[in-house]
Amino acid sequence: MNQSQDSKSRPRVGIASLGAAVGGLAMALVLTQCVPAAKAQTPSSERIVAAGGAVTEILYALGLQDRIVGVDTTSLFPASALKDKPNVGYVRALSAEGVLSLRPTLVVTIPNAGPPDTLKLISEAGVRIVQTPDDQSAAGVIAKVREVGRLTGAKPEADKLAAAIQTRFDALAKARTALDKPKRVLFVLALQNGRPMVGGQNSAADAIIKLAGGINAANAIEGYKPMTDEAVIAAAPDVVLMMNRGDPATPTPDVFALPAFSATPAAASRTLIVMDGLYLLGFGPRAADAAHDLMKALYPEKAAQLSVLPRP
Amino acid sequence: MNPVLEARGVGFRVGGADLVRNASLSLFAEEFTVIIGPNGAGKSTLLKMLTGELRAHSGSINYGSAAVEQIPAWRLACERAVMAQAARLAFPFTVYEVVRLGVDGVGRAKDRQSLHQMVAQALASADVTHLAARSYQTLSGGEQQRVQFARVLGQLKAGSSMAGQQVLFLDEPIASLDLCHQFDLLDTARTQADSGVAVLAVLHDLNLAITYADRLIVMKDGMIMAQGSPAEVVSDALLKDVFDVSLLIETRDGMPCILPQSRVSDRRLRGQDIQDSAA
Amino acid sequence: MTAVSSIDMDGLDSFVSRRRHEALQVTLGLAFAAIGLAVLSLGIGAVPIPPENVLKVLVAQAMSDGQILQGRDALVILNIRLPRLMLGFMVGAALAVSGALMQGLFRNPLADPGLVGVSAGAGLAAAVMIVLGERYLSGLIGKMPFAALPLAAFLGGLVSTLLLYAIATREGRTSISTMLLAGVALGALAGAATGLLAYISDDRQLRDLTFWSLGSLGGATWTKVTAIAPIILPLLLAVPLLARGMNALALGEAEAFHLGLPVQRIKGLAILLVALAVGASVASAGVIGFVGIVVPHLLRLVVGPDHRLLLPLSALAGGALLIGADMIARLAVAPAELPIGIITAATGAPFFLWLLLRRSQGFEP
Repeated sequence: MNQSQDSKSRPRVGIASLGAAVGGLAMALVLTQCVPAAKAQTPSSERIVAAGGAVTEILYALGLQDRIVGVDTTSLFPASALKDKPNVGYVRALSAEGVLSLRPTLVVTIPNAGPPDTLKLISEAGVRIVQTPDDQSAAGVIAKVREVGRLTGAKPEADKLAAAIQTRFDALAKARTALDKPKRVLFVLALQNGRPMVGGQNSAADAIIKLAGGINAANAIEGYKPMTDEAVIAAAPDVVLMMNRGDPATPTPDVFALPAFSATPAAASRTLIVMDGLYLLGFGPRAADAAHDLMKALYPEKAAQLSVLPRP
Repeated sequence: MNPVLEARGVGFRVGGADLVRNASLSLFAEEFTVIIGPNGAGKSTLLKMLTGELRAHSGSINYGSAAVEQIPAWRLACERAVMAQAARLAFPFTVYEVVRLGVDGVGRAKDRQSLHQMVAQALASADVTHLAARSYQTLSGGEQQRVQFARVLGQLKAGSSMAGQQVLFLDEPIASLDLCHQFDLLDTARTQADSGVAVLAVLHDLNLAITYADRLIVMKDGMIMAQGSPAEVVSDALLKDVFDVSLLIETRDGMPCILPQSRVSDRRLRGQDIQDSAA
Repeated sequence: MTAVSSIDMDGLDSFVSRRRHEALQVTLGLAFAAIGLAVLSLGIGAVPIPPENVLKVLVAQAMSDGQILQGRDALVILNIRLPRLMLGFMVGAALAVSGALMQGLFRNPLADPGLVGVSAGAGLAAAVMIVLGERYLSGLIGKMPFAALPLAAFLGGLVSTLLLYAIATREGRTSISTMLLAGVALGALAGAATGLLAYISDDRQLRDLTFWSLGSLGGATWTKVTAIAPIILPLLLAVPLLARGMNALALGEAEAFHLGLPVQRIKGLAILLVALAVGASVASAGVIGFVGIVVPHLLRLVVGPDHRLLLPLSALAGGALLIGADMIARLAVAPAELPIGIITAATGAPFFLWLLLRRSQGFEP
């Protein structure tokens, strides 16, 4: 472009300099791309991308964390996972080139990872993609552990872990029989604008409440839905259950100050239980512990009998 | 001589009301025809039917031997140009570009240089060459009107090689113009007529209509009340019946001349009467 | 734009040739920018590939050298970056040209391709597929797992446009203002239906809806590129034909007719081609905002409103813009990626506000 500098040519000069700036920036990016990846090589041949919090948790529990080359944003436990490993984004919005840039040999995902075109491209690049079963039950957790173990060639470790988890679920089932008067639990996912979003049937919250020997007070609802104030009163929960994101310092809103909740039995006894979200709802290897912790919190009078769960 | 355009018994109806009824007229080459009439007389509606923009509900309109609705739009654009009442432009086109629009459609086959020549000529004819680089949207109403006139002149010029006979329609072309440019525009239109174009204009200024028109068409309530030379048409009765005013008409050099001043003196006189009777 | 206030006959010639010269400069500048961005976007990404390898792969592709084409670099460049580049350019060009056409048709510089109802219809159809698809249409999805959603979105967009067109057309004439109003109503209706679907959706489907509404070029495949090319190309090929019509329409519909334009046919053609192209864009890349408004608007400031220049340059600039935005989307949080709609809206909206501010300061009415 020539150098005509009257006021009229300003927009074009603007475009030119913008182009130059974009070009320069892009060049800089190219140069940084040429520097070899900073992440250290793992000794094992298998390079795994874990897409899904439960998958990551199981891999860590199996001691395979060194083989993980990338995790997704839902991999919140252990906390070191997202700190040490590159983040490939949300499990349902993966990037084909992003995942391939980690040079994985295996991508283990929870069901419904995606988008489908991305998974197709990744598998076309010769990377094995396996989806694990994801039943929100004791059997589901065991199956998930065994599947991950089978995929990673860590069958003995997985069998051992699965057995330990099974023992704990068995103990949990036994503890449930000892409960005489089950409590009604209302899981509140969020309190946007004072309107509660609760966990109904077929939600992970429902499953964990049942495992912990409670009754889901929001039985009439399917999935996670907003609940009206009157429905909250009608549900008559003995306990309100909420979650935080692994940070105990996060202040929980004072639910019992809300009119709907103030009329519930839970308000009378001021029983609010707050637990870590992934721990509570993730249905990973710690699901039995989470259910057990919840049980202890629900039935403090039986805490003494419940305090011990077999350790692996 | 055959008319360039002939309308027979044309009517247009909207929602049960007749906007134009049984109107017949002919436009001839080299003739400057002016439609006059009060507001709501159906002048613009009639014009829109003649240009092909509105389809007449009854009657027929022919350009030469072809019915107007049978002529494709591109062909019609060669045979007639239309300057409508104040046109708003959606984007900041320059004056040059607006006039260029007039020649681009019709003169598609011509080379760039001759199109440019036509635009330059049209700009000069409408005395807007000095505005060529300005954005149309920043012009005054009168300047915009002159630019539209230039665009129409450009279209006529571009179409002239394609059509034997052409019609120029002007709908209140001088409404926003200063006195000097009113004369300029009508002079240019007159020149177009002299060069063989049939000109049809809607005007409100009766004196200018009388001055420039070869033929006057008087409309009221959707009907043509009278047509003929100004000398034949303009009379005390016409002013009273059509415009509902009584004004003095003088004759100068054989042409009628209407004196609005007479109304002022008339009112003064009547005022005197009222005062007298009150006393 | 108009520094020169007064011109004589000689000045007119030089004014015209200067404008032509400026237009050429801008065209060349944009072409270089588009080519440059295209080359860059082939060269960079989450997978580090040295420039010489990029070149090698491209040469190997041209010579069909099987050895190199088996490698991972080749796969990344030829099956991920190249289709993504093509998709991005086509979608960007389609959105920008559609925006410019809609602005010309509605005679309003703030019109947007969404005005013909494509986005509303496509959005609703996509929501139906996401939320109800697994439950009620599993047979269809099973048969074509990758095409079901885009196909539904495309058809949804087309159906809603045809509906709008039918509502606004009386006695062979399409009322643009009726279409605008009906579009608002139809948009509200589709929005309500989409809201209802969002309400009954589960957590995962809700996130899918969100991501879809933010747009992404991720998952671009050759299948997608070859599927949408024949739908978008007619719009780009019709640009010279439509440009003349849009110029005349700027004077008003009646004036356009007086100038010899088949107004109804131009309107119908423009609406159909825009509906097809935007439908294909939305179907393949989700909702990408602001390209359709900002690109034509910026170009109008630079080269003026003549559509014969504006439309082709919109295609070029829109394509280049989307390639650039997609590079940011791919690299900003690599190995993850941002939805591209966030980037176009985040850069487009402030820019747009700036334009409005400039205008309200008496720059141009």
